[in-house]
Amino acid sequence: MIEVRNVALAYGTCVFLRDVSFALAPGEVLALVGPNGVGKTTLLRAMAGLHAPAEGEIALDGHVLQAIAPRARAREVALVSADGPIVEGVTVRELVSAGRLPYRPWWRWSPAPEDAGAVDEALARTELSRHAERPFLALSSGERQRVWIALALAQRARTLLLDEPTSHLDVRHAFEALRLVRAFAAQGHAATVVLHDLNLAAAFADRIALFGAGRLLRCGTPEEALDEALLRTAYGVRIDVQRRTDGRVVAFANPNA
Amino acid sequence: MVSAVHSSSRRAATLCALALVFAAALAVGAGVGAVRYPPEAIVRAALHPFGAGGADQVLWMLRFPRVLMAALVGAALSLAGALLQGMLRNPLVDPYLTGASAGAACAVAVALVFGFALPALPLVAFVAALATAAFVAALARTGSGISAERLILAGVSLSALFAGVVTLVLVMAPPSSTSLGILAWLGGSLSGRSWPELSWAALYALVGAAAALSLAPALNALRLGEERARALGVNVDRAHWGILGSAALLTAAAVSVSGMVGFVGLIVPHVARRMVGSDARWMLPACALVGAILVVAADALSRALVPPIELPLGVLLSLLGVPAFLYLAFHRRAA
Repeated sequence: MIEVRNVALAYGTCVFLRDVSFALAPGEVLALVGPNGVGKTTLLRAMAGLHAPAEGEIALDGHVLQAIAPRARAREVALVSADGPIVEGVTVRELVSAGRLPYRPWWRWSPAPEDAGAVDEALARTELSRHAERPFLALSSGERQRVWIALALAQRARTLLLDEPTSHLDVRHAFEALRLVRAFAAQGHAATVVLHDLNLAAAFADRIALFGAGRLLRCGTPEEALDEALLRTAYGVRIDVQRRTDGRVVAFANPNA
Repeated sequence: MVSAVHSSSRRAATLCALALVFAAALAVGAGVGAVRYPPEAIVRAALHPFGAGGADQVLWMLRFPRVLMAALVGAALSLAGALLQGMLRNPLVDPYLTGASAGAACAVAVALVFGFALPALPLVAFVAALATAAFVAALARTGSGISAERLILAGVSLSALFAGVVTLVLVMAPPSSTSLGILAWLGGSLSGRSWPELSWAALYALVGAAAALSLAPALNALRLGEERARALGVNVDRAHWGILGSAALLTAAAVSVSGMVGFVGLIVPHVARRMVGSDARWMLPACALVGAILVVAADALSRALVPPIELPLGVLLSLLGVPAFLYLAFHRRAA
């Protein structure tokens, strides 16, 4: 379980997010939403141990994340970054195999049998098995996103962190990516997803953390977090929220307001 | 340029083929020169170290150390180039980016002006190469890591500074053995080197090569980007220092015995990547072999083209190697 306790985030001396506290329970999908630049990606990086909080601490099963050795941490927390360099000359299987790096001692060059098993399973769960030997660059955007998720699944971590996994994806491929996240949580794991689409967040997440004005405005169920007044504070535009007959909420920006 | 994807068995076959070509290149290189020796004489001599025959003497005293030196220079520069290109994820980077060779050239020029004896030059060059690389690394340091942009800026700036000093010495020094010595260094050459230089350069090159191979998993992770490598538990800062240190050691070992041999460290990693793909575990050994073959062949050519004159090795590599590479690169893409 990951606990974020009174965390403040800063670059240099400039603090841009303060007093963030929430806990991520096994089996749960948490969506982080909020305007650009509010610090969602940095918070995700901090939860992966790649950015030290300026104040407060992030704990993994009671241990301070920053104090855990990088390889041990990578066996517990997997991060799917939004951006990265173009990776050339690599097959899908080679790329997904990189997820086994935290398990491989430095003197072992080739994958152990359990590594191959984890990679095969990750490929199967992301429906990439038939693409395994294809060059990564030959895949479509949706397939590439599934490869990055497969790499994280191959890490066999109990916590999955995803930064805008649906950017560049059409509705169907976005659904597919988020279904993989839900399936991951259904196994008793936890996931945190940065999303921009409030309705995708409401549809796929158990809870939503809404950030704005340099703080966590609310962390709760989609019905609790998607509050018109809070959304206005966060985004500075009017967003109408309606409750559908099935109890779910939908949000849409109102350009006339 | 989308590199092809390669299976393990094909990669192993490619490495075996390269090793065979390397052995053939060594034999041809040892046979070529003012006196030519047929392959059987070379094999016989190789089996009888420092035998009584004249051929054995010439081969063991002159040719064998020379072809091995060429192999060492080619392999070391290619590995250093591959390490730095991988670390900075920049295909235009070459081993001289660390400033090692410009620093060495500057030190050699100054040493010649002060009348240092020729046998002392490799040591002067080696120390200067490592010192310059360490200074460049210190300038590029940010916190516990190394910034790629700062490394490139520091390396290019210091190289330009040292090149200026070398030119100044060339202009100011009277036309003499000093300026000729500097020019020979800048052109790259393996003449006059024998077992003593080879043995200690090989020692440092082997340490650098072993470190390079141990960094292969980290280099593979860095292909995904620094952020993703960190998320996979790779200590990126430590990997950067390891890569820079081994590249500097390899470059210093090479330039200290050969002077400036350009082109190899820039181009060979691209050739190796085309042959076996970008997985460092295969690419680094392929790189070492291709670089060794290329420089052994070029050195043989430099002795064979207009005997008894020896053409400068670095110049020959640039004049013949660059057009050949450009033809291959662009011809294939057009096809």
